[in-house]
Amino acid sequence: MKKIFAVLFSALFLTASNASAAINGAKAEAFIKNVTSQGIEQLVNADISESERKARFTKLFNQDLDLDFIGKFVLGRYWRTATPQQRSEFIDVYRKLNIQTWSERFNEFKGKHFEFSGTEKSKSEDQIFVATKVPMQEGAPASVKWRVKETNGQMRIVDIIIENVSLAQTARSEYTSYIQKSPDGINGLIKDLKAKLK
Amino acid sequence: MKKMKNTIKISGATTLIAAFFLASPCIADENDSALESYNRAMFNFNAAADYFVIKPVAKGYRAVTNDFVRERVHDFYANIKEPVSAINHALQGNIVDSGKSLGRFVVNSTLGLLGTFDVASGWGLRNNRTDFDRTLAKWCVPDGPFFVLPLIGPSTPRATVGMAADALATPTYWADYYASFGEDWERYSVYYGITALGFISLREENIEFLDNLTANSVDPYSTIKSAYIQNRLKIGVCGNTDVSADDAGYDFDFDDMDDD
Repeated sequence: MKKIFAVLFSALFLTASNASAAINGAKAEAFIKNVTSQGIEQLVNADISESERKARFTKLFNQDLDLDFIGKFVLGRYWRTATPQQRSEFIDVYRKLNIQTWSERFNEFKGKHFEFSGTEKSKSEDQIFVATKVPMQEGAPASVKWRVKETNGQMRIVDIIIENVSLAQTARSEYTSYIQKSPDGINGLIKDLKAKLK
Repeated sequence: MKKMKNTIKISGATTLIAAFFLASPCIADENDSALESYNRAMFNFNAAADYFVIKPVAKGYRAVTNDFVRERVHDFYANIKEPVSAINHALQGNIVDSGKSLGRFVVNSTLGLLGTFDVASGWGLRNNRTDFDRTLAKWCVPDGPFFVLPLIGPSTPRATVGMAADALATPTYWADYYASFGEDWERYSVYYGITALGFISLREENIEFLDNLTANSVDPYSTIKSAYIQNRLKIGVCGNTDVSADDAGYDFDFDDMDDD
């Protein structure tokens, strides 16, 4: 009898602790709904100047994307050997370059909307995929998945997967292959990324 | 003797294609660098051809046409691909989808003025494209390694075989074959012309996308290769199409980081 209680108790305890650690799917979905509607209403469809658009995009980007985390992943194994100075310089230029690329590309979503199709589990407990579909003019809708991570109660996007293409994974392939070939390693990468900034 | 030489040539080519497939029993592997130097050289050649010829022609095409004309051209090319979809849906065992593609082809080729208007979509018959590459995937044929084709760009052995088979199932190929009575070299001249316009139309539709993709990249080859391979994983082998991002070979746990 004692044994059964012990099992029941530990089962209860385990589920309780799991529930508190694992990211909540409904909350993650609500978070992405908020981000996408903000993005479409305040950026794509809003009648504002280009500089105002860029300012709003920068704010949304910094607030809702965990770029410190993404930058770490993108550098792959080179993150471990990078000096603190290289790390912060890389994150800084990577942030600026992403804002530059996406503030322009975001207009591709003009006249489009997101349909939410549930969540998918990730291998990591604090992360989850929010699945969305974007209806296209012809053919099947495009699949856009958002990888959301919760850190200290705050949700942030750590990857966007468009038609199975992960932006973080693609950047990681690009940068690690570049560092491998560059005689100056990470410094060479940082220098060439800076040259891409307008 | 000459005949024998030809036979050897053909069997040599077959062996080469077979070797491609056998050399990589799994799906295209992003870290496979055996073809890397050839691929990069061909990628640079294509980029130069695109910069000096293809993109300027695509921009010229954009300059002399308006949205309406380009949409008609786009719809025409989408329509001549419908028989390809119909045949391949059937080969994949999707009879309903095959009928839809065939229905779209009949409706759009007649009421849609040779396919230049997509009337069928308005009737609820939505475009549902497939191809021989997907048929091969369904039949459990593995993809093979990533390689870059001259002018056409990123591909794999399975994608290349699929593309060649699809070209044979395109109605314009056969229309030209039966309509012309001249020498062999002029037999396909109309077909080549139509194919070339389709190529330029496709390039025009992707001007901004490719500009954006490469503008902020320090290594466009790696960027495009990685994106191409990830996108192809979506076509599951043996009908297993449920590839979630987590199966795409990465995880955000940093314990895995040294595996890259």
